[in-house]
Amino acid sequence: MHAYANPTRFLAIAKPLTPWLLGVGLLLVLGGAFAGLTMVPGDYKQGETARILYVHVPSAWLGMGGWTSLAVAGLVQLVWRHPLSGIAARAIAVPGMLFTALCLATGSIWGKPTWGTWWEWDGRMTSMLVLLFLYAGFIALTNGDEGQRQGGSLSRGAAIYALVGAINIPIINRSVVWWNSLHQGPSITLGGSSIDKALLWPLGLTLLGFSLLFGAIVLMRMRRIIADNRVAARLRRLADEED
Amino acid sequence: MTGVISGSGQWAYVVAAYALTALLTGAVLWASWRAMAKAEKRSDALRTDGRRGGAPRGDPK
Repeated sequence: MHAYANPTRFLAIAKPLTPWLLGVGLLLVLGGAFAGLTMVPGDYKQGETARILYVHVPSAWLGMGGWTSLAVAGLVQLVWRHPLSGIAARAIAVPGMLFTALCLATGSIWGKPTWGTWWEWDGRMTSMLVLLFLYAGFIALTNGDEGQRQGGSLSRGAAIYALVGAINIPIINRSVVWWNSLHQGPSITLGGSSIDKALLWPLGLTLLGFSLLFGAIVLMRMRRIIADNRVAARLRRLADEED
Repeated sequence: MTGVISGSGQWAYVVAAYALTALLTGAVLWASWRAMAKAEKRSDALRTDGRRGGAPRGDPK
């Protein structure tokens, strides 16, 4: 892992990888969305609204997966002081917050025709809203802090915040089991899926596609931070040479 | 159940969910790409000027 602590080595991989993630991700998302809208039948109970599944589930997965990655990056920063971990955590925060917001919005749009309400203060929706606020707090905490001025590393406080926030992830996951909820129980588990195969396959495409797009956004944001760091370092050197 | 919508009225909700997802994801992708391209261009220009021994061009931020 430490072999890739060097930004130059990281960029040698990230630069060719970014357009691939972007291109393949877009193709998979467009293909999955097209199939989800036109090729699969409506659900026998929920009708056409079940098609929201193909954008709602990837958003939920990436909102929760994003914070898990952010917490891992925070841990790596705290324990090994890996130079890229702080940069990765900063880069993950915005797309993580985007997909959490999309999960809440598409869930609300799905809820209105299905449950008859846009919102319900139950365990699943409330814990997901808490995740959105956690992302907002992390972005506020890390914007313009000392770490940003020192090459993008996280402050100790921000790294601990990322780790503590991870407590919310299993709460979101188990909320539909622990509490009564309008939200359905877990449809996809390690043991299999309760969704019929005829409806399931486009979900595989959009899940993978949105995950690749998430990866592309993270790489682009990491590359921007590294480029900004290099500009700042060179300007400091030039200023030192003039003195 | 009160307020439950069935039939063709459901399509408006489906289209709204997909449109919102496309719009927000596209906006973040575009903003990230633009910021990255701009930052890397600035960094490359500064490095080239440094090799030539000239003064850096442009505003660093």
